Amino acid sequence: MLLQAEYVLRARPWAVEDDRTAKKLAQLGLLIAVFGIMYGAVMGSFGGVFGERFWQVVFSAVKVPFLLIGTFALSLPSFFVVNTLFGLRSDFSYSLRALLATQAGLTIVLASFAPFTVLWYVSFSNYRGAILFNTFMFGSASITAQWLLRRFYEPLIRRNRRHRTLMRAWLVIYAFVGIQMAWVLRPFIGSPYAPTQFFRQDAWGNAYVRLANIILSLIGG
Amino acid sequence: MLKWFKQLDKILRGDATRIPSLAEGRFTTPVAGLSVAIVLLGVLYGLCAGTFAMIRTGGEAYMQMIASAIKLPMLFFLTLAVTFPSLYVFNALIGTRLSVISALRLLIAALGVMLAVLASLGPIVVFFALSTKSYPFMVLLNVATGTVAGVLGLGFLLRTLDRLVIVQEDIEISNFEASLKNSQSEEKESRKIEPTGALDRMGKVTTRKAKSVFRIWTIVFALVGAQMSWVLRPFIGCPTAPFEWFRERESNFFIAVLQSLASLFSL
Repeated sequence: MLLQAEYVLRARPWAVEDDRTAKKLAQLGLLIAVFGIMYGAVMGSFGGVFGERFWQVVFSAVKVPFLLIGTFALSLPSFFVVNTLFGLRSDFSYSLRALLATQAGLTIVLASFAPFTVLWYVSFSNYRGAILFNTFMFGSASITAQWLLRRFYEPLIRRNRRHRTLMRAWLVIYAFVGIQMAWVLRPFIGSPYAPTQFFRQDAWGNAYVRLANIILSLIGG
Repeated sequence: MLKWFKQLDKILRGDATRIPSLAEGRFTTPVAGLSVAIVLLGVLYGLCAGTFAMIRTGGEAYMQMIASAIKLPMLFFLTLAVTFPSLYVFNALIGTRLSVISALRLLIAALGVMLAVLASLGPIVVFFALSTKSYPFMVLLNVATGTVAGVLGLGFLLRTLDRLVIVQEDIEISNFEASLKNSQSEEKESRKIEPTGALDRMGKVTTRKAKSVFRIWTIVFALVGAQMSWVLRPFIGCPTAPFEWFRERESNFFIAVLQSLASLFSL
């Protein structure tokens, strides 16, 4: 399994070779689950790991892979239709494996950041600081993953330059859905002032509406 | 049923609109089954759009989902019905070889592309409907998905029409060559072919005219479709208003979108 993870990180053709697609998709899914759970558990340990707070660790551990796979599943249908429409259907199984391998890469990078997060949690008790730090970790992991996606997509783009446009379209759709998904699945870290919950009671809000309001209040509207 | 979706798939993959398939300047893909597939996809997206009312108001709100599921396919076919006559007339005026049947088939194929894209965005719409309280946001999200679907569908239409024009030019050139041969063999007996000067444009004039007419027409289709969606509203169902099949005649699509934008930023 660690060997598989290394293949993904080195962008070896292993993940995207043509044979045994189904098996590889399953293996990549497993990588996402395992490493996602790893980082999620660490992320949820802010309020401590004993008693009531232990559940926050479990919840976050479940939610991180769910966040990634859920976003992926919601964005996939439109990506499939648009790929077909641009005449790239024959490459779709390759694209699918490249995208999933990138997700796996993202979780592996995140898991490798987990020790930093632990150190941060041990050092600082500020909840807002923890949120910012995790945002920073996710941001760095996403940027790394994007770089990985480019490497996986290189042969595709060499074959047909439209793949570049579609890769960008994918990133836009994925970010749009992913931000809202992350918002809906709060809390990941667990505020020390709030009880441990799987979902926040008031969670069914909209990240973009909130963002618009914050921007507006900053401008002074 | 699988057969109908296979036809749609052929169109999406572009198999139906390759140059050889368009030979003789006709579009021959059968559309009866395709229309059924379009209706089904429309019902699917209508259900997705109506989900918001289901979550917010509860009780009889399932009526909104049913109404949206019925109205969404109607939206597309009514837009087609409104815009088709003028397209055909202009198409005949500029002298392309597209027959009524071919033109209709082509437009239904374009609708197929639109609805495939729209339905594929359905899961995202449902996800936001389940997690959002903001009605203006849902309106704008649906406008956005509709715009993406419309742009891709009309893009498909324009590309196919361009290809038809290319095919037509090829036919004209081969006819011209044939008539040239004839006239040589008949030792210039008849001078039916006008002598052309060095600067005369050949063939291209119709092509350019055709392209500009089709471009204008796609804009008309987009405008009619947008307004039609306003006429047939509500699709999403404002949580504070009671369920109605149709709303009173007031305002228009573009003002409503601006209002939604304004209220999204002023909450």
